[in-house]
Amino acid sequence: MFFLIIKRILLGLITLIIVSLITFVGTEVLPGDACTTYLEREAYGAALEACYKRLGLDIPAHERYLSWAFSVIQGDFGYSLSGQMPINEVLGPRVKNSMVLASAAIIIGIPIALILGIITALWRDKLPDITISTVTIFAMTIPEFISATLLILIVAIWLEWLPGIVIVPTDVTITELLPNIILPVIAIAMIMTAHMARMVRSSVIQVMASDYVQMAILKGVPYWKMVFKHVLPNALLPAINVVALTIAWLLGGVVVTEVVFNYPGLGRLVIESISNRDLPTVQALAIILASIYVSINLIADLLTLMLNPRLKTLQIRK
Amino acid sequence: MKNIIKLISVSLISLLVAFSSANASSGVFKLSHDLGFGKDTNLDAITKGRLFQVVIMTQNRLVRKNLDGVTSPELATDWSGNSDATEWTFNLRKGVKFHDGSDFDAEDVKYSLMRVKDPDIGSPAKKSMSSVTDIEVVDSHTVKMKLNTSFADFPLLLTDYRLRMIPSGSGDTIGQTGIGTGPFIVDKFDAEGTTILKANPDYWEGAPGLAEVHIIAIPDGEARVQALLTGQIDMNRYVPFAQKKIFDGNSKFNVSVVPTGNWRGMVMRTDTAPFDNPKVRKAVRLAVDRQELVDLVMGGAATVACDTPVAPSDQYRLNMKCGQDINGAKKLLKEAGYPNGIEMTIHVSTKEPTWPTIAEVMQQQLAKAGIKADIQMTPSKSYWKETWMKKAVAMTRWNERPADSALHEIYHSGAKWNESFYKSASFDKNLSDARGELDFNKRKKAYQNAQKTLWEESGTMIPYHVSKLVVTSSKVKNLDEVEVFSVRWHRVQVD
Repeated sequence: MFFLIIKRILLGLITLIIVSLITFVGTEVLPGDACTTYLEREAYGAALEACYKRLGLDIPAHERYLSWAFSVIQGDFGYSLSGQMPINEVLGPRVKNSMVLASAAIIIGIPIALILGIITALWRDKLPDITISTVTIFAMTIPEFISATLLILIVAIWLEWLPGIVIVPTDVTITELLPNIILPVIAIAMIMTAHMARMVRSSVIQVMASDYVQMAILKGVPYWKMVFKHVLPNALLPAINVVALTIAWLLGGVVVTEVVFNYPGLGRLVIESISNRDLPTVQALAIILASIYVSINLIADLLTLMLNPRLKTLQIRK
Repeated sequence: MKNIIKLISVSLISLLVAFSSANASSGVFKLSHDLGFGKDTNLDAITKGRLFQVVIMTQNRLVRKNLDGVTSPELATDWSGNSDATEWTFNLRKGVKFHDGSDFDAEDVKYSLMRVKDPDIGSPAKKSMSSVTDIEVVDSHTVKMKLNTSFADFPLLLTDYRLRMIPSGSGDTIGQTGIGTGPFIVDKFDAEGTTILKANPDYWEGAPGLAEVHIIAIPDGEARVQALLTGQIDMNRYVPFAQKKIFDGNSKFNVSVVPTGNWRGMVMRTDTAPFDNPKVRKAVRLAVDRQELVDLVMGGAATVACDTPVAPSDQYRLNMKCGQDINGAKKLLKEAGYPNGIEMTIHVSTKEPTWPTIAEVMQQQLAKAGIKADIQMTPSKSYWKETWMKKAVAMTRWNERPADSALHEIYHSGAKWNESFYKSASFDKNLSDARGELDFNKRKKAYQNAQKTLWEESGTMIPYHVSKLVVTSSKVKNLDEVEVFSVRWHRVQVD
């Protein structure tokens, strides 16, 4: 078990190094750089040289990468290119805002997904299942930039119930933020919930069809006692990995949703820094997003290992 | 009796309310900006990252353009040039105060304008001040500007939207404070969030009609349109024409189409064959149907130009007709030694979203005259460095500037942005004559002659000047329907 954890953490670190290399090389080979983007028509001669010098772009690429990687290990992402601002300072409030958005979506989404998934599985092919399944399939297939726009159209423009886009300062407090995030949270939670509900449904159906459940039914175990005691614990274990994958997916969904709603989080920062060719910020974001992805998956794996006695014994026997 | 008293008191109160609301500043005007300069965004008008939406409301220029595009007094009350237009004396408005309480005087003018020339700041506006060698403080409210050349239209240059007056010595802090003499005072500056301006009750043109202005960062174009639709902002000056029909006929919005001096065009390098022959260049220009480009690319929202960079509203604009002339184009090509037509590659990018469309429409039009045009897409991020002024034929775009600046900066043989590498002694002479000519009609003639030369032989095809779609909430009143830099913001009201 211990070695397994160490192994997984090492693999995660290697993934992060590869991600950082790919982002670095990727931004490097694309035509144009921070200086040509910033200076536009004035990108020539002394002004361009001065810009390169100011931003340290006159140093060879591999040296820049190494010195950058060294300071990242020490927890310092350096300075943003266009802003001359420490990236750590830029990131702080953004990370918090995105976390608020994602956690709200998770807190609302997961219970709903579990309830919907269980209902559809227990009443399989009956009216509740058919209705809910149709709705979830729709919710799954509509991309978030469309559902977000539709939400704005219906709730903000036609009904005028909620503000359409988020207008708050970047360093907003959470209490100020909450009333603004209702629409973005719905947009994100919709797809996520639909995905998870489908997974929970098939997992519950599978367990319901298994021999020991059939046996329990034959032995006359009361239906609801059987569902809660024997079916759900076994059905929901695989769901942990699904939830982890969905949270990882959230990272991508959050980018699109944040841009549509003008939400001051990591996602909008990704788009802003890419269009400004702000390489250090892009790299920092790539590393942060990749670390979240890697660690969520790691935690999910370990959690399944711990909760599932079968997997535990399997490892010990090895 | 009771009723009468009630009636009188009610009418008195309502009268009082109406009276006070007519005088005091009230209402909040919300608009957006696109955070185009990211974390560099600041309130120093002469830097690259200037948030112009704020500085045009908090700071004044010496000279402004009135609604007809003619120079008129702002912080300078009147001005005069010497006989050869090399020295200009400006009398300044008295009794004007900056937001920090200090008096506006000649020292501030000298400081604000000479700062533009500071190489350490590297201001993009320094070209407007390049002819100024010295500013002399004659007395507390008079300055004399000395030029290294004759320039009859020098006051026009001072209408540049970046040449704002700030308190002497405030250069280090102006980027955050935005202090000026304008109708609004910066209350809270937050480039990435909402910047709040409050009315300046002592504004020299009278107290503003608004209590507050909120300027909100919304980087995404779609989100800006949504914000306008949901009433979170009151004005959007960047609505694409494709979205005009969302607002047309909706009583909650006012839609106006404002002509501008901004243009798109195609540059043929005059030093590269076959475009080194003026006849070939003119043939290409004759083969283009400009009205069709206006209709197809801009949905009609543009003013046809006959290759003049001078804005439709500019007093020196040369208006002429330039319909498509396929036979004329073929004839010119034949004379130039290309009886079977020519081939060319038009370089475009999505830097300007309409470039690829313009090129595609032109491709069809040029084919009729035997000109075979290929379209080559190039990366937008490096367009100005790698494509523009490098490839033989490439698209270009420019924003509005005064006639003299437009003609000088883009066509003068010594200009560093002479994108078509155009060199014409007669054109240069017309420009220098115009600068030295104090008689308006003669000066106009010289500028128009220069534009005529461009139509005959320039390397730049300018099909139109674009119009801008300005959508405002119908709550917004008294907003001048002109380009953003000439709007009189103190008059704007929001119900």
